[in-house]
Amino acid sequence: MPDISLHTALQESEDEVLEKMFFIRSFGEPQDSAREPEFVAHLTFEGDPPGWLALCVTAPAARSVSADFLGEEKVDLSEQQIGEVVCELANMICGSVLSRVENNSGFRRATPRLLPPGQPSERGFPVRGGSSSAATHSAGVGNGRLMVIFNTETPAWSAAEKHAF
Amino acid sequence: MRAFVRRVIQISGFELSTCLEAANGQEALDLLQREWVDAILTDINVPEVDGEEFLHRLALHELLDSVPVIVISADATQNRISRVLSLGARGYVTKPFLPEVLRAELEAALGVPCA
Repeated sequence: MPDISLHTALQESEDEVLEKMFFIRSFGEPQDSAREPEFVAHLTFEGDPPGWLALCVTAPAARSVSADFLGEEKVDLSEQQIGEVVCELANMICGSVLSRVENNSGFRRATPRLLPPGQPSERGFPVRGGSSSAATHSAGVGNGRLMVIFNTETPAWSAAEKHAF
Repeated sequence: MRAFVRRVIQISGFELSTCLEAANGQEALDLLQREWVDAILTDINVPEVDGEEFLHRLALHELLDSVPVIVISADATQNRISRVLSLGARGYVTKPFLPEVLRAELEAALGVPCA
């Protein structure tokens, strides 16, 4: 059942980061899933297990979270500022998830980078090996949505599961 | 992140006079050769000279080794926290965090009474 726990970790991490650092609450799975994400941040991590995280955010959601994070008006934000905030959001969610699933073994994250627009499935995110484990979580933010994809090269286990095992 | 931290410090009510910024560890070390500061806030995951290497270099410096450093990181694993504290960090704040947590760490590091 590692995927269920990974999904829970992903959801809890995303909610906690948005509430504490962006002062906003996400709402459940958005109805409109056809809209393409305009900002996609991607970062890899090394540890046990290694893998990558991608954060896909629609333009309205990206502008909304950036305004909350920086305390600026939405209209005053540049594309660069929004991109940097989306990367930082990806970095924090990734660190939060890894702290939940990697126990105390430690991990190292690469610097997040923005990818060109397009659907995640078209990006060919690398999945090495045949025993990878992935979880996705989508949430509505403002009048947009964001989606997190968390992929590990080997199944990820939460700290509680590791102890139980 | 730097803009956010500055904002959070203001929100928390902590009185901040001058706030200097550096984009990476090397830039921070260069800046500290010219400017004196009362406290340093740094992430671990920064380009060029990362947070751990930054702490290591500060510890080797005759004057800067006394400046309290608070590490702000999304890494909440005990291994990392222990390692960073053993390198000389005075405090460790895990992201995400509430403004009052950062304020408390700053006050503790600077030895000022909590409001």
